[in-house]
Amino acid sequence: MTVRGFDPWRGVQWAVWVILALLLGWPLSTILIASLIGPDGAMGFANYAELLARPRYARAFGNTLLAGAGGAAGAMVLGTTLAFLVTRYRLRGRALIETLAVMALVSPPFIGAYAWIVLFGANGLVRRFVVDLGIDMPPIYGASGVILVFAFKFFPNVFLVTSVAFAQVNRSLEEAAEGLGLAPWRRLVTITFPLVLPALSAGALLAFVLSIADFGTPRLIGRNFDVLATEAFSLYTADLGSNPGLASALSLVLVGVSMVLVVLQRRLLRRDVFHGNALRRPYVVTLRGWRAILAHGIAYVIVGIGILPAVVVVVFSFRRTRGPVFQDGFGLQSYERMFHAVMDPVWNTLVFSLSATAAIVMAGTLVGYLITRRPSRSTGALDAILMIPYVVPGVVMGIGFVTAFNTPPLVLTGGGLVIVLAIFIRRLPYAARSSATALQQLSPSLEEAAISLGWSPSQAFRRVTVPLILPGIMAGGMMSFVTAMNELSSSLVLYVSSTVTMPVRIYQAVIGGDYGTASALASTLLAITAVAVYAAFRLSGRRDASFL
Amino acid sequence: MNAVDRVKEPALSDLVISAVSKSYISGAKVLDGIDLTVASGAFFTLLGPSGCGKTTLLRCIAGFLQPDGGRISIGADRIDTVPAHRRDIGMVFQDYAIFPHLTVAENVGFGLKARRMERGEIARRVAESLATVRLDGYADRLPGALSGGQQQRVGLARAMAIRPRLLLMDEPLSNLDAKLRLELREDIRDIQQRLGITTIYVTHDQEEALAVSDRICVMHGGRIEQTATPFELYRAPATRFAATFVGEMNLFPVAAGSPFAGARVGAAEAAIRPEDVVIGPCEDAIAFDGVVRKVTFLGREAQVVIDAPAGVVLLRDVRPTDQTLASAGRPVRVSLPRGRLTWFDAAGRRLA
Repeated sequence: MTVRGFDPWRGVQWAVWVILALLLGWPLSTILIASLIGPDGAMGFANYAELLARPRYARAFGNTLLAGAGGAAGAMVLGTTLAFLVTRYRLRGRALIETLAVMALVSPPFIGAYAWIVLFGANGLVRRFVVDLGIDMPPIYGASGVILVFAFKFFPNVFLVTSVAFAQVNRSLEEAAEGLGLAPWRRLVTITFPLVLPALSAGALLAFVLSIADFGTPRLIGRNFDVLATEAFSLYTADLGSNPGLASALSLVLVGVSMVLVVLQRRLLRRDVFHGNALRRPYVVTLRGWRAILAHGIAYVIVGIGILPAVVVVVFSFRRTRGPVFQDGFGLQSYERMFHAVMDPVWNTLVFSLSATAAIVMAGTLVGYLITRRPSRSTGALDAILMIPYVVPGVVMGIGFVTAFNTPPLVLTGGGLVIVLAIFIRRLPYAARSSATALQQLSPSLEEAAISLGWSPSQAFRRVTVPLILPGIMAGGMMSFVTAMNELSSSLVLYVSSTVTMPVRIYQAVIGGDYGTASALASTLLAITAVAVYAAFRLSGRRDASFL
Repeated sequence: MNAVDRVKEPALSDLVISAVSKSYISGAKVLDGIDLTVASGAFFTLLGPSGCGKTTLLRCIAGFLQPDGGRISIGADRIDTVPAHRRDIGMVFQDYAIFPHLTVAENVGFGLKARRMERGEIARRVAESLATVRLDGYADRLPGALSGGQQQRVGLARAMAIRPRLLLMDEPLSNLDAKLRLELREDIRDIQQRLGITTIYVTHDQEEALAVSDRICVMHGGRIEQTATPFELYRAPATRFAATFVGEMNLFPVAAGSPFAGARVGAAEAAIRPEDVVIGPCEDAIAFDGVVRKVTFLGREAQVVIDAPAGVVLLRDVRPTDQTLASAGRPVRVSLPRGRLTWFDAAGRRLA
């Protein structure tokens, strides 16, 4: 609908462009400019030249690709296996498996790293037990540890997308292949697998992008395994010899890697578009005997290991401590310390997340509407630009915000608002996507009917569209809240002592060896997350959609 | 009311569309200078294949699209500058567009609420509209519990309840099964006649258009091919496109050496309806020999396909005999009565 002069959506569109220019365009362009200013103050590619010249950064670049590829490959194997088992075989406790996978997905990213240290670190419980048995077991630190954590952290992303795709492969296609005499495994390789490939590659790509953007895991578990995200952070925050130009150049390289992959994946998939018209859903097979045991075993081991960090964290939060040291037995000292000494981060987190969520939900709904209902060059560009936050890691966004909002005309650093705005712009695309999805399932003629009956466009939107997409919006809002609460990387660049959030405090506690406090804070975070996720479940009815 | 009034009054609320055009972002012209007048109280149909611009024109009238140029007015009121929600135009949608979160009565009363009508008046009008579409007793149901046909009746009642100046229908029957489609088609026509609401109906189904309309406007490629009564349109199609889109039509090129050569000055093609073709000799006709390729018996008629040097001839025989049905492969004499022939020039326009 493009009615000249009467459309309030034009105003909304302008507002969105202004917001994007301010919160996305400006910070990223300041990074770009900073990256072009050499140590001597001259414009040029001196920083990029230095990146190429110093083997340290070449190694970080290689490590980043390794961590991304390893994490994506691991997540793909685990996620696809689980998705296939869950959708094609009748497993006991399917709902439990799915819930555990979602819990693994939403638990704070660095909790995984920390829990793995507790279990398999140099002094880890499991490692000590194994070493006591006389078996040599290296501690988990390093590249393999990082990749392992990524695989178990990000497999739920792959699982959720591919299980939808597996369930939608038209049964007739597989039957046709069977009728043509293909053996079951060949059917799987030549028919089923290619059909779920788009979903699979989308999930794997997401795992890759999330892996290379992850900052906490390589920091906590990588030891000497430095990646671009951690290098950019160190360069930026080093007390002495901080080098914003080099940090910016490094950040842009990181963004570039993600961007290349996203473009590549889209290019590859545009050629083969598969229409999974799920008229006939695949059979769900009931397994017997050893096959049943094997299928259940694999599925439960995958989600079990995925959820293990959360379990470890909760258990450890109730261990007795003296100072930062764990003692035998259980107690509530960690929680006491949390309530007495570190309550500010809890309040900060709640206030920041709730404000960010309110803004995300409102803006996301409006942007989703513009994209689906007002197709034009401008909204098309809007949709494309909203892809950018997907590929800009939190550390980079944080650095951009510091650079942009540290000097007049707009000074925001040092306050809570800058943290909220960073979360807002990082999560806006997800909310816009989920509102667009909800709107796509709603016929545009509903709103037109309301208008033809005499309601103005804005009233029609409020009276007809909003009530109908409200469950989707609320579910999306819950997920925004969860991700906002768990945001570490951008906050870590932007916080000052008065605006410490729970994830930042947990990170500090883990780095400082105060595992008890970290566990108590992380458990609290997990509990709030679990409640929000449960609410999202209840609101959306459809489970998978709201998490992607 | 005296005779003078009766002549003047309708003219005051005619819908007049002049020089309306619309292009998409890509630059493709969807509407190319449309001029139309729809008499007040008429059942007017926009007919054409998909992509011909009929729905775009309807949406311009409704106010959901803004034309690039031209003007649309009802009587003396120019409406294309008025926002959609102030046009007082009722619309019935292809996908019904019934609000799923409101009851049937709330759906029908939705437009009355926008007009800040008092509660009692709304209830009265809702009941009246529901009675008109024979849905009394469904007022408190939710739309999810209704069939497609019933939902579309709610859509009709909802659009009529606001007593619109103009009722627009965008392929309202195309999502219904064949039996319901015929039934609702009759209802729509009856209700429209009874209430006398000026109605613009969009369809791609020529039979539907012939059945319900006072006048039909055939559109093609963003232009109007012909506007006429159903009878005129079928009997005297103005263009080759209108002739082939509405009903079936045999077309023969007029070339040197063909039986049509020289029969009409300036003609490029000769056309005749299948039911007008005669087997055997006939007075004042163009005749030629052919061979029956196929006979298909359809119950109320038989279709005969004849191969002839002049072209393939389709013939509709409403009283087929055993002989006709067994005629495949036999040579026949085909006669085309001159009075039934239509001639088109090279541009596809009918020669007067």
